[in-house]
Amino acid sequence: MSARHSRKGAATPRGASAAARTGGRQEASTSPRGARQQTVRAQGQWQAWLRHHRAMCVDSLRRLVRQPVGSLLTMLAIAIALVLPSALWLSLDSAKLVDAELDASATLTAYLDKGVSESETGRILEALEAQSEVAATELITAEQGMAEFQQSLGLDDALARLDENPLPAAVVISPTTPSPEAMAALSERLSAMSGVAEVRLDLAWIERLRQLAELGRRLTLALGVLFGLGVLLVVGNTIRLAVENRRKEIEVVTLIGATHAFVRRPFLYSGAWYGLGGGLLAWGLLTLGSDWLAAPVASLAASYGAHYQLPTLGLVGSTTLLTCSTLLGWLGAWIAVSRHLAGIKPR
Amino acid sequence: MIAFEHVGKRYGGRFEALSNIDFRVSRGEMVFLTGHSGAGKSSLLRLIMRLERPSRGRVMVAGHDIDKLHPSQLPFYRRQIGVVFQDHQLLFDRSIYHNVALPLEIRGLAPRDIARRVRAALDKVGLLHREKALPIELSGGEQQRVGIARAVVNKPALLLADEPTGNLDPQLSADIMGLFEDFHRIGTTVMIASHDLALIARLRHRTLRLSEGRLVADEEAA
Ligand SMILES: Nc1ncnc2c1ncn2[C@@H]1O[C@H](COP(=O)(O)OP(=O)(O)O)[C@@H](O)[C@H]1O
Ligand SMILES: [Mg+2]
Repeated sequence: MSARHSRKGAATPRGASAAARTGGRQEASTSPRGARQQTVRAQGQWQAWLRHHRAMCVDSLRRLVRQPVGSLLTMLAIAIALVLPSALWLSLDSAKLVDAELDASATLTAYLDKGVSESETGRILEALEAQSEVAATELITAEQGMAEFQQSLGLDDALARLDENPLPAAVVISPTTPSPEAMAALSERLSAMSGVAEVRLDLAWIERLRQLAELGRRLTLALGVLFGLGVLLVVGNTIRLAVENRRKEIEVVTLIGATHAFVRRPFLYSGAWYGLGGGLLAWGLLTLGSDWLAAPVASLAASYGAHYQLPTLGLVGSTTLLTCSTLLGWLGAWIAVSRHLAGIKPR
Repeated sequence: MIAFEHVGKRYGGRFEALSNIDFRVSRGEMVFLTGHSGAGKSSLLRLIMRLERPSRGRVMVAGHDIDKLHPSQLPFYRRQIGVVFQDHQLLFDRSIYHNVALPLEIRGLAPRDIARRVRAALDKVGLLHREKALPIELSGGEQQRVGIARAVVNKPALLLADEPTGNLDPQLSADIMGLFEDFHRIGTTVMIASHDLALIARLRHRTLRLSEGRLVADEEAA
């Protein structure tokens, strides 16, 4: 009569007739027949388990569809919670690109003494290129510098009125190793060269950008955790209501011998469906958003003379988003059901 | 099959709903449990189902102290007991068929086996023709018969019923009791709580009488 002996129950009518049928050999679990029966039984339980999963998967979806407005609202709440960290994550991904570009564009600018002759300039250029740490140089004469300055500021008239070009000639130097330390050392040595007035090294803003990127990463992580909790709460609350609505049913099935896993299953599937739905909505919002932003971002980048495209989720990103949202939904449901099942006692 | 050994049950610390209950029921017996309202009949049945735990003493079912069952074993223990409630506890959002099928679905039977056994149980209580109906469409007596079909569809060794004829007229009550006698006849242990003394007297089975939580009489069938 206990759980352990449930299958034998020799004194029950069922047990008695089964024993009669098999001539009592059912008890002898070492007999080949007993072994075969056990395999069959294990297979049957596995099939039953699969069957219930399939049934609950479909049933929970059907319940969601039966209340389209409520389900959609829940999914929308999940989607909104997912969009912000995802968008941040995406822009961070593009920050990584900027990072790589930073390395490539890390340069020193050596300003030459004012009024150095062309031959003097040529000599200095050669001396610079002879350095092993220098990968490439690019000369910007005083006139070129002036022209660029005028163009970028749109101050043609004001500058045209100046009698004399106030700008020195400059050499833009790409170092072989773009690390901050190596560049600082190089700049020190170059500024000691004759004919070089000053070496400008824009390490500071590179550092600043790097720190900004790091800040972005941490912010994304923090927001991801926070909004992930938000998803858990949204799903948890929805599932709590669902459990409350089906309280009577839970009491009855518990009364007639349902396991916790059996009771929990439909709710876990509901949670997973909510999560998946929310994830799909978030995916749609992200796609719409990046489409909407693509044109201004492109022209903004073009105005800086850069070519930059908003990153998209891609296959890996989309899969990650949907997997995470589904798992979050499932987890939220699990927490809610486990907490509330404890409070449901059959009367 | 069932043995109560000096069982006491307190609710909320002070009030003793059952005190020093001591009796045995053999396998295959049919027993009535009577007593005034509040005498402790429901409490006693809930102890057997392990919905409550005794404050003192032991409840043995099929030789096992059920207080020692691990929570994870409880579902499997309960699957072996068929229970019929006064308010029959049917689920109103599904058909008669699916109400009766519930215990079998919980046990994970194949749909084909479920169909066969559900129809057999419904046939037994005379409701095979209503299998597609919703519980709300049935009369009180019919609903109670669905409750019985659900309790026996699993072929339990032990059948408990708490006031199964509570709201029914005498003729329907007699029909319902007849069903329980049928299950008793095929070897099921049956225990029925009821205060319908006239009906119990006519049926001639062992009767346990409770009064204010005490077992005041244990009368064998005349
Ligand atoms: N869950 C409970 N909490 C507190 N008191 C209860 C509870 N269940 C029953 N009782 C009390 O125990 C006594 C016996 O109740 P019960 O077993 O339902 O009697 P019966 O079924 O014979 O009418 C009653 O006084 C009732 O108020
Ligand atoms: Mg009662």
